[in-house]
Amino acid sequence: MKYKDYYAILGVPRDADEEAIKKAYRKLARKYHPDVSRTPGSESKFKEAAEAYATLKDAARRAAYDQLEPHGAGEEFAPPPQWRQAYASTEHAFDDVELADLLAGLAARRGASRTPAHGHDYEAAARISLEEAHRGTTINLDVMHEDGSRTLAVTIPPGACEGQKLRLRGRGGKGRHGGSDGDIYLHITLIPHPVWRADRHDLYFDLALSPWEAALGADVEVPSLDGPLMLTVPAGTRSGRKLRLRGRGLATGHGQRGDLYAVTHIDVPAALTAPERALFEQLRAQSRFNPRAIANKEQSHEPANA
Amino acid sequence: MNLQTHESLWLDGRHTVDAPELGRICGLSSGEILELMEYGALAPLNAQPQSPVFSAGCIAPLRQAASIRGDFDLDIFTVAILLGYINRIAELERQLRALHAQVPSHQHAQREGPAVWHEAHAGRTENRARAADQE
Repeated sequence: MKYKDYYAILGVPRDADEEAIKKAYRKLARKYHPDVSRTPGSESKFKEAAEAYATLKDAARRAAYDQLEPHGAGEEFAPPPQWRQAYASTEHAFDDVELADLLAGLAARRGASRTPAHGHDYEAAARISLEEAHRGTTINLDVMHEDGSRTLAVTIPPGACEGQKLRLRGRGGKGRHGGSDGDIYLHITLIPHPVWRADRHDLYFDLALSPWEAALGADVEVPSLDGPLMLTVPAGTRSGRKLRLRGRGLATGHGQRGDLYAVTHIDVPAALTAPERALFEQLRAQSRFNPRAIANKEQSHEPANA
Repeated sequence: MNLQTHESLWLDGRHTVDAPELGRICGLSSGEILELMEYGALAPLNAQPQSPVFSAGCIAPLRQAASIRGDFDLDIFTVAILLGYINRIAELERQLRALHAQVPSHQHAQREGPAVWHEAHAGRTENRARAADQE
């Protein structure tokens, strides 16, 4: 078994009181917590500090730890022989056990060792496509347990959206002493779609229009989850307008669906043919429309001869 | 390989959870759940203080707050403050996702995601026109 100098890890003397130990731990946690630090190796330093703190903040574990003769960090040592008997009478095997687990096991035996303990919860991520979120899907989830690996077929019902969470009750680690089994928490993220952007159950896509389609109106074919649809673009449609197709978005899971929105933007040809150029020149000469006018744009869009 | 099928439960407003279950799921005692209610960090759906019921939507943020509590050895009042910020961040993230969805893709900063949609046949027509123009 490898020795760990918990006092050195936290940077406190062996006679440090509870308050000094807590303060030292919090400083290290603030420095190395994975949510705070992106420095390589910080997560292992955080875990090391958390292990040291878990032992030293608990009077029974600390007392057991203090019985050990100090060794160099990482040095092999043999725990007192009586520990083997005390620890082995719990549900754990003594060999290959980590120091922290051994101390926790011994402390639990001295205290209320038979209180029900909830099994370990697991967090997992599922990245699914927009179509899978709409129709529902089944994913295979590999779960590592103490007794080996299991594969769960998890049904994700229609109606999933970005950031939603699923709870798989009782599918985590085994409970101990009559405690309930742990759960699995599945975090759903949607794979970005080449056409649609999702806002909960509503879908948005960019609809490019020619200047004449935007000005005169047009029926254009647009993509939807149910296949191509015809969308009527009203005359006088400006860039950034949202045209709604009701009930053509993602399934909500309540038998309804979100909406599908076409976000318009007006595109122009990169190169004009001679007739196109002539028509645009004619339009420039005829039209009084000024898109930069501060006054009401609807009024400024009236044709010159109106 | 042992394949097991299991149904799943959404953690949102479609389901509810009582106080003992919420505490068990999040690793908090009934007293701590009550204290979070007193601080206004947890709001039950019903008005019966003896048997409060919560939206399942509060499970994920409370589990996150309880996990951070364990990592930093925080007291329950700090967890109440933390829970407020976690919920606020989640709401801001939701608003940001909504804005990203609604704003045309060419106005976004470079990111992973959809490009401008073009009709395939319309693109071909334009290509033909360009080709004719070049001839």
